[in-house]
Amino acid sequence: MRCVKATFWTLVVLVVVGFLHYTLPQHDVVRVVGTYQQRVDIGGWTRVFWSGSSKTQITQVNRDVQFIQAVKPNGKAIVYRNEDTGWGWPPYFKFDTATLQAKADDLKSTPETPKWAVVTHYGWRMDMLSIFPNAISVKAVAGPDVRVIPWASIIILFVLAAIALLIRAMWRQFRERSIDPLFNDAASRLDEVGYRAEAAGERARGRWARLKQRLFGKAK
Amino acid sequence: MLAFWKLIVLLLITLTLIYWLLLAYSRSLRREALEKGWDAVTGQDLGPRESYIETGMAQYETSLRRKLLWLVYVLPIAVLTVLILVMNVQW
Repeated sequence: MRCVKATFWTLVVLVVVGFLHYTLPQHDVVRVVGTYQQRVDIGGWTRVFWSGSSKTQITQVNRDVQFIQAVKPNGKAIVYRNEDTGWGWPPYFKFDTATLQAKADDLKSTPETPKWAVVTHYGWRMDMLSIFPNAISVKAVAGPDVRVIPWASIIILFVLAAIALLIRAMWRQFRERSIDPLFNDAASRLDEVGYRAEAAGERARGRWARLKQRLFGKAK
Repeated sequence: MLAFWKLIVLLLITLTLIYWLLLAYSRSLRREALEKGWDAVTGQDLGPRESYIETGMAQYETSLRRKLLWLVYVLPIAVLTVLILVMNVQW
């Protein structure tokens, strides 16, 4: 039973942490090396890793998607997709895909004369599933070792923690004021029945003892 | 535009649910405080327990704390509006 419980909670934590890790904004310091547009087949369950904000995006089985190619300071390459999230999930309200593509084009550089930029994105890059993180914004920075403090994630996690504590407080208040009284009523009624039965038992035992005493002369 | 209306409807439903839950919670806290307040006072006459609590609850309904609950609607919509501007306007 303990094993089942532990597995269950591990799964819950994994799902929650995974969901937050996918959805919250992350910052990469990169050198943009190119942009391209490609027609992508979108189908099956991996559709959830592509934008679904407009009717076209939801109904088409394939569509043109813009991509941004970049290289990290450690030399590893990363490719971002550049898609509107629109009014859909996750709530980044990104409508400026074309603008972002222009900015990324403007920041293109070579290894010899590097221009460094911070790309804010959400999502994961997985080669096997052909899924890409979605770039949200790109901004030029001084060098490859600039430090970005993830204020947005800090604030969101702080607010989520506050909401969780609030829900806990609300639940406790509800239990204390609305559920416990029901059980207390039931419990006190049960107690009453119990006492009555006990008292009846005492009385019966008393009679039995008196009867025994009368029959055998002495109480045991 | 369909997605926009979907967002608005979902948002309003969620916020209304949160509003009602918080309202119930806030009322419950107030009522508990009133009950404990009446039980704690022994020196002076506060009147019957029931009417003391009902008067306190009636006062709560017109209080600032009760009105602040509307922030449940105001804050998220304000944050979303600012967010949409910040995300899409070039500074």
